[in-house]
Formats: sequence, C-alpha cells, structure tokens
Amino acid sequence: MDSGKQRRFAKRGKGFLGLTRADAIRYFFGGNASLAIFILLLICVFLFKEAAGFLPGHHAGLTKWRRSGQEFVDILNVAVDGHTRLGSALNIGYFAELNATSKAEQQQLFSYRAVLQRVKGTVRGPAGRLKKLLKEFTEAGEKLAEAEQDLAGADLDPARQASLRAALPGYRAVIAEVEPRIAMLEERIAEGVAEALAGDEVWEGQNLVADDREAVAEAICDQFEAAEQKHPWVAGLEDFVREKKAERTPQLAGFKEAVTAFRNAIRPVKDLISPLREAASELKQQAIAAESAPKRKAALLAGAEATNDLAERARKLAAAEAVVVAAPPYDEVAEGFYAETAAFEAVVADLRKEIDAAVEALPATGELADPSARENLERFRNSLADYRESLDRAVARAKDWRHDEPYPQVKSFLVFLIGKEWITNSSWHDFYGLMPLFTGSLLISMIALVVSVPFALGAAIYVNQMASRREQNLIKPAIEFIQAIPSVVLGFFGIMVLGTLLRDVSQVSWLAWVPGFPLQERLNILNAGLLLAFMAVPTIFTLCEDALNNVPQAYASGALALGATRMQTILRIIVPTALSGIIAAVLLGFGRIIGETMVVLLVAGGKIQIPDFSKGIGVVGEAAHTMTGIIAQETGEVDRGSLHWRALFMVGLVLFSISLAVNWGAQIILRRFQRHGT
Amino acid sequence: MMKGAHQWGATNHQPQLNNKMKKRNVLLSLLVILALPGLASAQYKLMIKGSDTLGAKLVPQLAEAYKEAGNDVSFEITAEGSSTCFTNLLAGTSELGMSSRGHKDKEADKFTAAGKELVQHVAAWDMIAVIVNEACPVDDLSLEQIEGIFTGDITDWSEVGGPAGEISAYTRNTSSGTYKTFQELAMNKRDYGSNTQKMAGNEQIAQEVGTNPNGIGYVGLAYTKAEGIKCLSVDGNEVDPAKVADYPVSRQLYYYSVGQPEGEAGKFLAWATSAAAAGKVVERVGFIPLKK
Repeated sequence: MDSGKQRRFAKRGKGFLGLTRADAIRYFFGGNASLAIFILLLICVFLFKEAAGFLPGHHAGLTKWRRSGQEFVDILNVAVDGHTRLGSALNIGYFAELNATSKAEQQQLFSYRAVLQRVKGTVRGPAGRLKKLLKEFTEAGEKLAEAEQDLAGADLDPARQASLRAALPGYRAVIAEVEPRIAMLEERIAEGVAEALAGDEVWEGQNLVADDREAVAEAICDQFEAAEQKHPWVAGLEDFVREKKAERTPQLAGFKEAVTAFRNAIRPVKDLISPLREAASELKQQAIAAESAPKRKAALLAGAEATNDLAERARKLAAAEAVVVAAPPYDEVAEGFYAETAAFEAVVADLRKEIDAAVEALPATGELADPSARENLERFRNSLADYRESLDRAVARAKDWRHDEPYPQVKSFLVFLIGKEWITNSSWHDFYGLMPLFTGSLLISMIALVVSVPFALGAAIYVNQMASRREQNLIKPAIEFIQAIPSVVLGFFGIMVLGTLLRDVSQVSWLAWVPGFPLQERLNILNAGLLLAFMAVPTIFTLCEDALNNVPQAYASGALALGATRMQTILRIIVPTALSGIIAAVLLGFGRIIGETMVVLLVAGGKIQIPDFSKGIGVVGEAAHTMTGIIAQETGEVDRGSLHWRALFMVGLVLFSISLAVNWGAQIILRRFQRHGT
Repeated sequence: MMKGAHQWGATNHQPQLNNKMKKRNVLLSLLVILALPGLASAQYKLMIKGSDTLGAKLVPQLAEAYKEAGNDVSFEITAEGSSTCFTNLLAGTSELGMSSRGHKDKEADKFTAAGKELVQHVAAWDMIAVIVNEACPVDDLSLEQIEGIFTGDITDWSEVGGPAGEISAYTRNTSSGTYKTFQELAMNKRDYGSNTQKMAGNEQIAQEVGTNPNGIGYVGLAYTKAEGIKCLSVDGNEVDPAKVADYPVSRQLYYYSVGQPEGEAGKFLAWATSAAAAGKVVERVGFIPLKK
C-alpha cells in the first residue's frame, strides 16, 4: 500500500472512538482470533469442571458399595457366575450331542424356514392385496349365504324380504368381481415365488445339496398354495427330528444326569447369597435415602412455604417431620455378612465335591459323536481348573473382606480407567469402567486407519507426482467432496447397504476361510471401521498431498539429473523426505476418526463389552460400543450433575486428551523433521 | 413481496405523495403481512412432552383425531424419553406429560418442593412382545429363559430348544422406558448381560431381528408387524391384547399433569382416555385401550 493511499484511508476512517478504519479492522480480526482461543479455553474449563466431580463421587459410590456389603455379595457371586458359564458350556454340549443324529434334517428345516421367509419378502405386496381380497370374498360369501338362508326360511315380513332380495345382486356382483382378481393375484404370487426360487438370492448362505434344494423349493411352492397345513415333507422332517431326539434321549441319560447334577450343585450357594443380596440392596437404598434426606426435608419445607392452602401446608410439614436423617446401620448388617463367611466356605466345599462327582459321571470327550459337543466339553474341562482357583480366591477374599476398610482412592480411579464393566441405570450398582468403550473406539479406529492410509497415501502420491493436470482437477475435488457427506447419511448407508452386503458376502461358502466369517451381525466393528476409513480418506489425502508438495523441487531435479528413474525418485527421495508430514497426516486422520460419533453410534452395534480378542482377526465381526457413541447415547437421559452425567464427561475428557495428544504429537513430528526438509 | 407492497401503497394514494409517505406505507403494509400469521394462530396450543413410546405414534394420531372431531386446538408434541416428561412439566414447558413408566419418588419430590402436585392418568396398556426371527423354530420361552438370555446366562439357542447358534440379544438403550420396564417385568431386575446390543429404537430392533436368524429382542406391540419377525409366547401366554393381564411382560402407560388438568388440556385428556374414537386410535397404533 503506497503512503498516499494509506493517508487517504486513514483520513476518511477517523471517527469511531478515535480509531482509524484500518485500526478497527485490525482489532476486529484480532478480536476474532482471540475469541476463538477464549471459547476453546471456556470449553476446557467447562469440561474439567463437570468431570472434576466424578472422581470423589465415584469414590463415594464405591465406598457405599463396600460398606453396604454389595462388594461382599459380588465376591461370593463370582462362584455363581463362573459356574453359570461352565454349566452353559455343558448344556450346549449336551444339546449338540442330542441333536447330532438329526443335524442335517434340522439344518434343512432351518434353511426351509429362512428361504421361505425371504421368498415371502419378495411377494409381500401381492400377498397383502390377496389377503384383503380374500377377506372381502369370504365376507360377501357369508352374507350371501345368510341372506339366502333367511329367504328360504319361514315367513319373513315382506319389507325385509324385499330388502334382502335387493341386496343379493350386490353380493353376487362383489363375488363375481373379486373372484378373477383373486385368481390373478394367486397366479402372480405363484409366478413370483417360482421366480424367486429359481434365482440365487434367496438361497444365499444356505448350504444345501441340489436334492435338498429341490425339496425345499417344492415345499415352499406348496406352502403358498395351501397355507393352512404343513407340507408333508416339512411335517415328515419335523417328525423325524422329534423321533431321533426321543431315541437319543435315553442313550444320553447319563450325560443329561451329570449336566443336571452339575447345574444343580450351585443351588445352595445361590440360596446363601440371595438373602445377603437383599440385605445389601436394602442397606444401600437406606444409605442413599439417608444421604438425600436433608434435601428431601428441605424440599418439603420449601413446599410448605410455597403453598397457601393451610391443610396442604400442615400435611407437608408433617411429612417433613417424618423424614429420618440418620446413618444407616452399616456395622449391624455387616456383622451378619461376617457371620456368613463360614457358611460360604462350607457350601463351597460341598460344591466342589458335587462338581467332582458330576465331572466323573460325564462321558469322555472321545465318546461323543458331535464335534461341537466335543469342543464344548473340552472347553468345559479346560476352564474347570480356573474355576476351582476362582473358588479359592472367592473364599479367601470373603474372609478378608472388611466393610469399614476405606476404599483406596487410587483403586477407585483404576476402576474407572481399566474397569471392564460399564453398567448404568442398574438396580444393583452402577459401574463405570472405561475399557470396553476404549477398546471399541481404538479397534474401530485402527481398522479405519489400516484401510484408509494405503488408499489416501496412494492417491496423494499419484495426484501429486504422476497425474496430469486434468486428472488432478478431477480427483482432488472428488476426494475432498467426501468430507461434505453428513456422517448420519453414511451411518444409514452403513446399516442399510454396507451391513447387509458384508453379511451376505460373508455367507458365501468359499469365503468361509476368512477369519470372522460368516458374520452374524450386520452392525459390527468391521462395518464401522470401513465407513470411518472412508471418512478419514480426505483428511489424510489432503495433508499427505501438502506434505509431498512441500518437498523442494531441487530434490527431485537432483535425483532425476543423477539418472534416477521417475519411480525411484518418488519412492526413494520424495516420499521419505515428506515422511514427517505423512506421519502427521496419519495422526491427524486418527484424531478425526476417534472423535467421529454418528457413524459408530449407528453402525458399531451397541455392545458394551471388550471385544473377544481370542478370535484373532475374527474379532472384527463382533459388535462393540465406543466412547463417542456412549456420550451421544446416554447424555440425553441422565440427570444433570449426577454421577452418571459426570462419568460421561470423564469419557469426554479422555477423548479430549487423546485428541490433544495426537495433535500435539503431529505438530512435534512436523517441526522436528521440517528442519531437514528445508 | 416488498415490491407488491410498494405498488399497493402507491396505487391507493395520490401520485404526488412524497418519498417519506411511500416509505411509511411500505412499512405499514409489511407490518400487516407480518401480523397475519400471528392472528391466524390465535387458537390454543397444547404442549405435550415425554415418552417416545407414546409420543412417536399414539399421541400425534390422537391429536389428529381430536382435531378432526371438531376441536380447534393445535398440538406441539415432543417425544424424547419418559424422563423429559417430568422435567418439562416441572419447568412449565408442557401441560401434559407422557411416560411409559410410573414416576419415581425423586421426581415427585421435585414437584412437592415447588409447591405443585403431580397427577397420574392411565393412558393405555402396552405389551412388550419378545420377538425372534421367523426362521427360528422356538415358539415359546419361559420367563426364566428370557431372563437367562438377556442377562447373558444363556448364550446358545440349543439351550432353549433351538438349533445350535450363538444368540444375538438386542435391547433398547438405557434411556428408554422400555429398557427399564423389561428389566423389571422379565429379568427379575437383574442387569443386562454385557453381550446384549443396545439399539436406538423399536424399529431398529425389529429390523435387526428380522434379518438375523439368531436374533432375539423385544418391542412394543405396535412394532410386531415388522417384516421377518414373529412373537414368542411367554410361559404359554400368547401376545394377545384380549388377555393382556395374563401376559407376563405387560405394563400401563401414563399421562401426567400438574394438578387436575383444566381447560383445553383437561378436555383433551378426558377425551383421550374415555372416548370410543380415541380407543380405536389406541388400538390402531398397537396399544390396548383401557376397559370401561
């Protein structure tokens, strides 16, 4: 700006608070920038303030859990939980063995039902219309028959006779009109069914041999013609299955008895725990009531103030009087718990004996015909030692348990940070353990990164180094446009299209070797990861492209001048030089993914459990929940200021810290390596 | 619109009007235009907030029917979960509340503290239907088995008489009244197993169960006609509106008001809970009207 212009600009702008226009604009822009920083600080303060109350509150909650004896009950309950899992494995094994002789037939029946359902889906429209027409048809027929009967009967009064006669043609007309339409619809449905059965779509995922497929198809066709009765093929199969099961039951009576004995062995333990559970629960309710009693009293008194009705006021004052503000009888109830430890030890000793006896009576794994039964029995035997150990631990912990021992602060923090359970809105005790959500978020983000980085990086290298200008002008905006797709739209796409597609593909038989296939859930980690990968591509692509752009032209020229090929220059010179920027891009992409909410809320499946990593890569087929998802799902419902509310803010704080760390890391990497770059 | 108003102003006055007058005319006509919708909406506006079980279909359709019956009232219905029924009533931002559960003591306390009285009105019966995929051969489960499935004690269909296969149990999310009600009615108040999947709504549960042969879930009666699902009978009791009292997993739905409702709110409430036409709407939506 030349000085004359500047002067003119300044002269004209003098007026408001003695500021020149240029100054005003400068302050305005500066103000905007500092406002952004101020709001960021405000958000941080708000986040920390709301989350701050969590740790003391959480600690108080866990203290209450201990003092009321709920902790004691949970210690004893370990014996029951482990036993339930073992019993479940045994039971599954037993039924697998029971069904072993009719497995193929059951599979056929299952396929029949599944295919029938899909076929029904294809002809739902005409079937609905047919139903309506049939109703009209039968109604008209009934009315006609009734009227004819009345007319044929003894003396009617003439007026009624006339009206009946007048109505007859109407009914006949309806019948005449509806009948051909029914026939037409029936034909159309039959055609639709035949067409669907001829196609491959309805058979997907059903491993049937050609003969079975034919039988199923025939049974389905017949089912549509005569819906009321079971097709003889189906009825025959059902009878066969029933017969085989009946035949097998006495053979497996020993097995069954052992399973039942094992499962019943836990009864005395349950009977012991059940009254303790009630006592602990009641004590905790009392503790909560006692805590809120002063508030409740104050509320009633304030209510009495507020009302003008004298009777109402008296009633409220009396109610306020009746509120007890007294400490709950912790020590007294705890004495009862201590007294039960010996009894617990005794029932556990009995339980051991009964388990041993039941295990003796179980058939050897080799005797079983069914592979799944063998597998479950093997699983049972392998877990048995662990369970016995857990019983020892439970007894020892029950003996050591003291209700008045203070709950360690550090431990209450760890319960949040590495706790495996997130149970809210519970009628027993709310647990806020971050791990299931954290692992879910992390796993989904990792999948997204693994998928998106090669695509984004490849695209960036191509666009930056190899593409013609026309290609660049097409590819860059196209990839950047992905960012404009609202994530809720992607979420719906994930539910409706990608989820169904993934599951259908996973059921194709020659893909069964892929770990985790066939997928049972439509909403799972893989689905969410793929969608997030799609969302992360533009971020990583743009930043990678920038990083490649920042590599000085001299490097490339030098390499080419020394005789390197184009490819060598790109892979050996340009990409390594831009590596810092690329790593930063990946980190920022990660930050983008882990904070994404809508897609994971809709698509991840909402299962608050640490994914079962024992499945290896197959773990991606499981449903999970995420940190962002839980905040979105639960914030709306919780009481402001409650512990649950604060727990959600803590989760938010963890997310915030992760994002902060990731961004900070990206900045450091950029700064450290840029020195080499320039 | 601006232009039209300008012309109107101009044609109704002498052509020698000065600019100022013209401007004033424009302003006046604009004012009239702005005021018109305000005059038209002078009819009474009834605000109803709370449970999405009631607010998604039942109350909006009742409102339509109520208007058709010749009542000049407009409605604002917001359905964001039963908890919001009480917070809005307390704040005075709604006249009637909808809830799929009874009120908690804590909630009643807040009203008492503010010198108000919370009044409960039964709206209808709701049955929670336990649904499975049409391909599932199981037709009946005992309450104990349902408890086992949703608490995670039972994990395989073969344990309840089906073919081998891992059970996928779908539940509502924790903010839903149905989540809590099902826990109380069918699960002995035990906690949901960590293997259950929390879905955003009835429709989503029906959809997932309808496409997953190993799925099981629960939905309100209104959603049992979704594709690909069938209802289980519980302890031998079919999901039959006529026998709602026998079916173990059923509950009452409520309206709430501050004090006995008067005026338009009172009229609507009396109509919605007793008129025959309202009963038909209740049935059509999939709930069960109160017996008279």
